[in-house]
Amino acid sequence: MLLPIPTSLVSYAQCRALHTSASLLGKRNFRKFLLGPKAGTLAFKNERAKEVSFRKKFPDIDIPDYGTRPTGAHRLGDSTFITVPEMIPELVVPDLTDFNLKPYVSYRCPEVVQEEFTARDLFNAVYSDKITADFERGALTEGGQPREPSAEEALTPESARQRARGVHTDIWEK
Amino acid sequence: MRLTQSLLSSVGKMTKLYSNLPESYIKRAMEKGKVGWKTPRTVQYQPKEIKKKHYRFTMNRPWTDEFARQNQVSRKKVYVKPIPKWSYFRGDMVEVLVGKDKGKQGTVSQVIEERNWVVVEGLNAHYRLVGKTAQYPGTMIASEAPLLVDDQVALLDPADNKPCTIEWRYNESGERVRVSTRSGRIIPTPTQAEETYDYKTAATYRESERDTKEDDLTIISFKPQLSTFEMDVAESMGIELGPPPSETHWY
Repeated sequence: MLLPIPTSLVSYAQCRALHTSASLLGKRNFRKFLLGPKAGTLAFKNERAKEVSFRKKFPDIDIPDYGTRPTGAHRLGDSTFITVPEMIPELVVPDLTDFNLKPYVSYRCPEVVQEEFTARDLFNAVYSDKITADFERGALTEGGQPREPSAEEALTPESARQRARGVHTDIWEK
Repeated sequence: MRLTQSLLSSVGKMTKLYSNLPESYIKRAMEKGKVGWKTPRTVQYQPKEIKKKHYRFTMNRPWTDEFARQNQVSRKKVYVKPIPKWSYFRGDMVEVLVGKDKGKQGTVSQVIEERNWVVVEGLNAHYRLVGKTAQYPGTMIASEAPLLVDDQVALLDPADNKPCTIEWRYNESGERVRVSTRSGRIIPTPTQAEETYDYKTAATYRESERDTKEDDLTIISFKPQLSTFEMDVAESMGIELGPPPSETHWY
């Protein structure tokens, strides 16, 4: 049996003589999935939940809080909310006295260009002075190795790795 | 973040330089006013917004509210001759070639690159009374009309202070300068060209308490050391390096 086609949904080019599918021709309508109460901070959402227009639109909705941590608790059997000071996060900020770097940079400052500090630069910074001094004195072997190695020159990859792993924490010390 | 291609080509380089604002802000401010069409926020409509791509540039700067208001109404498109090498800066002495003030010379006070406009101080102006009341006759102020850079205004040759055509050429130091084709004299860039919304010149910028000063900025306090980050922290906290933990293996 031929079903009547609403002309606003389908153009005449798509029109078929026989209809075996549903009236919307398989199109899915997601326009009615409203995501209103999910956007914003928890404080914003709670304020908005008090508005009449919001309550009319979403009469039975729960405000999702996505794991924001509470700063207190409700008294048992009561609706009063008690703020627990220990639950308020303590921001540990370093002491900024004598710290002169500020959030913005003055327009009077010249353009400072710093290249990347690579491993080669680190090598040069740590070893180059001793190597040049040894070379001038003649304290290098034929292969270029030092005859009197300093602490850094005596390091091997294994010993350096062990040294780095030797950092322990003092949290558990009494 | 760069402006989209269509907006980027619209807003002029001189405008962005003078504003000293980030490009993302200019884009956001231009789209702020109701310069597009939004679907009604009801259940039947998908939340979509049709943003305006082509703006009609006016005497008001693109990030202002007046610009947004002027662009709410769509008007006929203005055809602007593309000028690849923009040669007019704030503070340039120019001669007006058309209109009531033809033959007079003045300083450029505003440059609107998007419309090829230049506003000369005091010239090509109409006068209007502001603040007129029954008792007070009002203050007369001059509102200068913009002049097209192509053929309504000409830069002056420093040799004889007469209008001339210019070319961009390179001097001995390799700098790009404007040169009068008639006499070969260099037309210097005025100091006012360096001016932005925040300062007249970079060297005279008034520093605030939130600005890092040059001395503090150029200090390099990094000392290259042969130690890891954890070792540095342990050193500063006074934690002694202990024996390494036993070897772990993945089988």
